Amino acid sequence: MEKNFNKIVIVVPAYNEEKNIEKVINEVKPLVDELVIVDDGSNDRTFELAEKQGVTVLRHLINRGQGAALQTGDEYALNNQADIVVHFDADGQFLPREIKEIILPIQNGEADAVFGSRFLGKKSEIPRFKKIIIYPLAGLINKILINVSLTDPQNGFRALSRKALEKITIENDGMAHCSEILYKVFKNKLIIKEVPITVIYHDFGQGLFKGRGRGTGGFRIIKDLLLAKLMN
Amino acid sequence: MIQQIVALIIILFFISRLFWQRKNKKISGNEFIFWLVFWILAALLIISLKKIDSFVAALGFSGKGIDFLFYLSVVVLFYLVFTLGLKIEKIERDITKIVRKISLNDKEDKN
Repeated sequence: MEKNFNKIVIVVPAYNEEKNIEKVINEVKPLVDELVIVDDGSNDRTFELAEKQGVTVLRHLINRGQGAALQTGDEYALNNQADIVVHFDADGQFLPREIKEIILPIQNGEADAVFGSRFLGKKSEIPRFKKIIIYPLAGLINKILINVSLTDPQNGFRALSRKALEKITIENDGMAHCSEILYKVFKNKLIIKEVPITVIYHDFGQGLFKGRGRGTGGFRIIKDLLLAKLMN
Repeated sequence: MIQQIVALIIILFFISRLFWQRKNKKISGNEFIFWLVFWILAALLIISLKKIDSFVAALGFSGKGIDFLFYLSVVVLFYLVFTLGLKIEKIERDITKIVRKISLNDKEDKN
């Protein structure tokens, strides 16, 4: 079943990414129909640098977290007739050439939501502490809290079809959105596919207690997930 | 006995503050009623400490009535902190909605 997917939009949330943002824009822009940078209340020149590159830039007045920025990008994409939306990181940890691999299952009509996984074949240099402690722990918590098993549930590289986007609203402003998206994809019985991707690690972005920006850090994520369960 | 009177005076002070705040429209009607009931309840409990003593003893606890009130207040405090947390979370989400709306509107205005 070959479907016609015309418009591919990449959503890149960026918080204080002045060092990487131009490189990411230059690499990603030629590959897609529209590149949407969501500046999440950066204190540096992220917004100005992105605007200069002639891409779509949305600006949060204050920092609201990665989940919030992604939802802003998603709503913009929906309003602008996107057929496929890809979530991509601004810090250069994903490879732009793998975008076409992650959207392929949707283009072929095989899936509504495609998740990148660093544990399916391709080589990623994962720091040992993350590999042995953080990811298995995160996987276990996802299994307990939202009853979802995926090889790489905390991966931020994903593609969603328009159908999936219309059904999923990210309500978790912080990093807990990874689990939330998975949960909503499963709940809406969307077809899922995992695709091997490469992750390049720059620094220790996400610790147990604190990461960068709002709603980060392992314990905060667990708290947000529990809170979201109570609120809904 | 003296302790009870001191406690009641303190409660009276808070209730008078409450009326003052209401008069100056610093709190809403609902909040006013909630705190009024809260303080009146606290006063009633303190007045009937003796009865609580025997009630607690009847339940089989070795502590005094005042201890029981102390445990009760910790439970109430936990509950209040919990509801406060939920309320803050809701406000945070509303802030995000506003920030998002502004960013999308700004973009539309530019185009």
